[in-house]
Amino acid sequence: MAEPAPPAEELALRRRLPPRLPRRPGDVYVNMQTDFRAQLSRCRKLLGPGGGCAEIWIHGLGLAIHRAINIALQLQAAGAGALRLAPSTSTVELADGLEPPGHPDGRPPLARARNNSAIHIRVCRAPPTP
Amino acid sequence: NTSMCWEINVKDYVCTHDIEGCAGCWGSFQEMPASTFAQARAAEINAMLKAVTQKSSNSLVFQTLPRHMRRRAMSHNIKRLPRRLREIARKEAEKAVHQKKEHSKNKCRKARRRHVNLVVEFNRRQKKNIWLETHIWHAKRFHMVKKWGYCLGDRPTTKSYRACYRAMTKHCLLQDLSYYCCLELNGKEEELLKVLARMCSIDTGPTFAAVPCLSGRLQGSLVLYRADRYPEDVLGPITFIWKPKDGSGIPYETRQLWIWTHPSLKQDILTELKAVFQCSEPVETCSPEPIVTLLQEEKQTDVAMSVSKKRKREDHEGEKAVPVKKIIGDGTRVPLQSYCWTSQTTGVVISDLTMEILRYRLIGPLSHCVLTEALKTASVQTEMADAETELNNWWVENCKNSEKVSLHQRQEAIFELLQGISSPSEIAAGTILGLTVGDPRVNLPKKRSKAMPNPEKYQGRDLHRSWSCAQWKPLSNHTDDPDNEKVRQLLLEGVPVECAHSFIWDQTICKNVTENKIPEQDLNHMRGELLVPGSQLDLGPRESKIPILLVQQPGKVAGEDRPGWGSGWDIYLPKGWGMAFWIPFVYRGARVGGLQEGLKHSEYKRTPHVPNDFPDCPAGIQFAKELENILLEKFKRRPPAKRANYVKLGTLAPFLCPWGQLTKDWEVRNKTQEESVVTSSADSKSCATESQVPCDLKPGLMIEDSQGDMMEEMTKIQNLCKEDGAATSSGFFVLRSRKLLKQLSAWCRPTCGKGQRARPASKLGQKEMTEDALLPIFKCYPQVLVWVSLSLLRKGSPELHAMICIPTQEDYLQLNKDQLFCGPQEPKHSDIFKHKILKLKERKKNNRKALESGASDALEAKAVEEPKELILGLWPDPLPDVTSHCSRILLGFVTQGDFSLAAGCGEALGFVNLTGLLHMLSSQPADKKGLVLLRTPASLQYRFARLNIEV
Repeated sequence: MAEPAPPAEELALRRRLPPRLPRRPGDVYVNMQTDFRAQLSRCRKLLGPGGGCAEIWIHGLGLAIHRAINIALQLQAAGAGALRLAPSTSTVELADGLEPPGHPDGRPPLARARNNSAIHIRVCRAPPTP
Repeated sequence: NTSMCWEINVKDYVCTHDIEGCAGCWGSFQEMPASTFAQARAAEINAMLKAVTQKSSNSLVFQTLPRHMRRRAMSHNIKRLPRRLREIARKEAEKAVHQKKEHSKNKCRKARRRHVNLVVEFNRRQKKNIWLETHIWHAKRFHMVKKWGYCLGDRPTTKSYRACYRAMTKHCLLQDLSYYCCLELNGKEEELLKVLARMCSIDTGPTFAAVPCLSGRLQGSLVLYRADRYPEDVLGPITFIWKPKDGSGIPYETRQLWIWTHPSLKQDILTELKAVFQCSEPVETCSPEPIVTLLQEEKQTDVAMSVSKKRKREDHEGEKAVPVKKIIGDGTRVPLQSYCWTSQTTGVVISDLTMEILRYRLIGPLSHCVLTEALKTASVQTEMADAETELNNWWVENCKNSEKVSLHQRQEAIFELLQGISSPSEIAAGTILGLTVGDPRVNLPKKRSKAMPNPEKYQGRDLHRSWSCAQWKPLSNHTDDPDNEKVRQLLLEGVPVECAHSFIWDQTICKNVTENKIPEQDLNHMRGELLVPGSQLDLGPRESKIPILLVQQPGKVAGEDRPGWGSGWDIYLPKGWGMAFWIPFVYRGARVGGLQEGLKHSEYKRTPHVPNDFPDCPAGIQFAKELENILLEKFKRRPPAKRANYVKLGTLAPFLCPWGQLTKDWEVRNKTQEESVVTSSADSKSCATESQVPCDLKPGLMIEDSQGDMMEEMTKIQNLCKEDGAATSSGFFVLRSRKLLKQLSAWCRPTCGKGQRARPASKLGQKEMTEDALLPIFKCYPQVLVWVSLSLLRKGSPELHAMICIPTQEDYLQLNKDQLFCGPQEPKHSDIFKHKILKLKERKKNNRKALESGASDALEAKAVEEPKELILGLWPDPLPDVTSHCSRILLGFVTQGDFSLAAGCGEALGFVNLTGLLHMLSSQPADKKGLVLLRTPASLQYRFARLNIEV
C-alpha cells in the first residue's frame, strides 16, 4: 500500500545546517549575509582592549573562506605586526536532507552526505620580538 | 414691588421685552405672593449650598488635597487629614466598607485557601473552558484568553517580545501545546490507507502512505480534504504519527495512527472521519468513567455541605472526602458522551484522545541541552517495589525481556548522543524517538539555571587543548572515536525504526503511569526526611517510569535564508505529568511563550498558522468573522472624527478580506480581457467600444471619473459579478499542488539583474512563461488563491489586511531612477457616503420630531425601509469591484505582517489571486519579476515588496 517514491526530479534537497561546536567567546563564524565591515569590527573589538580575548578563531566554510582570510589579513595589517595568524584547513561533512523522503527499498536514506572545505584562522597577539 | 422686580431682572433675565412691553409683565408680577417666591429661592439656595459642600468628582477627599498637604497613609488614618475634611473622609471610609463584597462566614481568606475549597473552586471554574495542566502556572504569569474551549496563555505579562525571539533563535522557548487534539485510528493498515487516501492528495506532498512515515520513523504533515473533494473543501492541516510495527512482519496487522489537529479544526475532521469510516457506533468501554466522574461530583457536593456545616476535625468521613483533584482530561469529556466509535464493516476504531496526551514544544538550538539535562532515562528494574501497588509493574514486566532491555539501552544511547548535536535542525525533519524516563522531579536543580552545551560531549573527547580547530578535521578521520561515527550515522540515517517505539501508545500503561504518580506532597515529605538536607533524593524502585515520545519539529525548510530556523522538539507525555515535566524544563532555562509567541514563530518561519492562514477551511472562515467583529467593535468605540475614514483611504475591506469577491472579480476581468483580445484581433473598430468595458486593465481611470459615472460603473460591475457568481457555484480555494507551486515559484524570481545568478528556466526543468503554459492554468484554476510571502524592499512594516497591489510601469521607472524611492501614493478618494449619512441623520431627527408631534405612519415606514446602518468611514456591504477600486490593481491581502526581527525588515504573509499573479508576472520586466506594492489599510502610501512563493 505504500505510495511509490516520487521521481528523482521531484525530490528536493534541503540543505541542513553544518555541524557546529559550542561557541566560546573568541569564536567568530564568518558568513556571507552579514556586512563585511561589521564582521571585521567584531573581530577588532574582541581583540582590542576590553574585548577579553587573547586569541580569536575565525572560521569560514565554503563560500565564506575567502572572506575569513580577508578579515584575518585586514586585522593583521591594521595590527602593525602585533598579531600573528595561524591558519589551518579542514573538510566538513555536510548533510542534505531529501524531501519528500523515501525510496522504494527498505531503508531509505534521509540525507545525502557532501563535503565542503573550511578554514580556521587563529589570530593571537605575537610575543614582542627581541 | 419695585425691589422685587429688580431682583427678578437680575436673576432670571425674564424681562427681555422693551420697556413698553414690560408693562405687561409688570402687571403679572404684582400679583405674585411673596411667600411662594421666597420658598422657591430658598430651595435654590439649598441646592447651591449642597453643591458647594459635595464634591462632584469621583475622587476621594484626600485625593483632592494639593500635593504639599498629602501625607503618608492618609487613606487609613483619618487623623492625618486636615480637620475640616475629617468628617467627609470618615463618611467615605464607612461607605467603602459597606461597598466591599460581603463574604459568608466560612469564606474568610483562610477558609477559601484551604485545599478542599480551593479544589472545589478550581473544578467549578474549569467547567466551561478547559484548563491545561499548567494553567495555574500560566495564570500567574500570562494574559489568559478563552479560546476554542480552553483557557490559554496569550502572552507573558512581562515585557518579553524580544527576549522570546532571542530564546527562539539562540536558546530555548517552551510552549504548552496540550490543547492540540489527538484522534486515534485503529484498524488494518490497508483499510486505513485506502480510506485516508481519499482525504488527501499526493499532489500536495507526501501522504499517509509515505514510506518513512508509514514505518513509524518520521512524523508526517499534510492537509486534509473532505473525501474525494480535492482540491476544494479543505478541512485543515494535520500532523500524523504511525505507531511503528512490532516487527512480527504480518501484513494484515492492525495499526495505530495518531492524527494531531488544532482544536478549531477537530470537530470538522472528526465528523468527516466518522462518516468516511462509517464509524457510528459508540464503543461501550467508556461507560465506567462517567460513573466515576458522577461519583466525584457527588463527593464534591458532600464536601460543600460538610464545609458549610463546619467540618469537625475528628470526622474522618469529612477528612477523606477531599475532592479528588480533577486530572485534567477527564473534565474535557462530557460524561455519558462517547469518545470512541467503531465501524461494523471495517472494524476501524476511532477514538478521541483529546487531553489524554500532553504535548510540549521546545524551540531553539539549546532545546537539546534542556532535554538531556532535564530528563534521565529510566533505570532497568527487575523487582517490584511493593507487591500491592501496580506502580511500575509494566516496566518490571518489560525489563524481564532481554531484547526489550537492549532496545531501551539503544534508545538511551541515541538520547545521550543528542547532547553532542548543537541544533535540532541537523537531524532529519520529523524524527521520532521513543523513550522511557525516570521522574524528572527527582533531580531538580535548587535554582533556576541555564542549560549550556557541554564541549566535552561533542565529537572527540581528547581535544581540550584546541578543540575548535582539531575538530573541524573530516569526521571520517575520527573513526577511532565510536561516538563520532554514531553521530554521523544519526545525522545521515536518522533514528532507526525500532527506537521510535514507546509505551505511550499503550493506553493501559499510560493509565497506570497517571494513576501511580507520587504526589508532589509526598515527594517533598521524602525530601524533608533526607539525612543530608539538599542532597539528591533516591527513590530506588519506587521511582516512577514515564513513557514519552520525542518528535523533532523542522524549522524553516522552504526558502533560502535562515535554513533550520526555529527548529525544536515536541515532547508527548501521558496526562497527569504536566507540571512534573514543566518545572524541570523551566528550571533548565527554557523561556515560556504563549499563543502570541507561537504566531510570531510561524511568521518568522514563514509557515501558515492555524487557523489564520486557512481562509478556505471552515475554521478559518469562522476565525476571520470573529476577527472582523473584534476589529469593527474597536473601530466603533472611537468617535467618528478620531478614526480613519477608510472610504477616503480607498480601503474597501479593512477588517475582513473579501476573498470570494476578489477571485470572482479577477475571473471577470480575465474573461473580459480575453474577449477584448479576441475582438481586437478580429476587428480593430470594435476595440473602441470594448475599451469602455469597466473591467479594463488600465488602472487609475476610476478615480478621475466623476462621481456619478463611478457609481454607475460600480453597479455595472456588481451586476457582472453577480451574474458570474451565479454561473460558477463553487467558491475559491487555496492552491496546494506542489508541482504548480514550484512552477510559480520559479516564475516569480527575477530572471536577470544584478546580484542574481542567471538561472535558465530550462535547467530547472521548468516551463517558460508563455501563453501556452498560462492558458491551461487560467482554465483549470479560475478562482484560486496562492499563499505567498512578501519582504519589503526598503521602508515600511506591513499590517494585518494590508493590500497587495500591482505596480504600474511608471513605478518601475521611478524605482530605477531614484534609489530612495519608497513607493507611490494613492490619491485621496472622496467619501460619497458622508452626505448620505448626514441626510439619514437629519431624517432620523425629523422622524423623531414628527413622532413627538403625532407621527404620520408613512414616515415611520420609510425609516424602517432604510438599509443597514451606514457607518462613517466604512463601505456599506455590497462592495464595488475590489480589484480596480484604487489607482493600483489589487492582487490580494496580507494575513500576517509585522517587522520581522529575524529578517531585519518588514515581512508579510498573505494570499494573492492566481490569475492576477500570472497577469502581473507576464507583464513585468525580467529584472523586476515578483515586485509588488503593499499598502496598509490606514495609509495612502504604497511600499515596494518582493513576492516569493516558497515550496
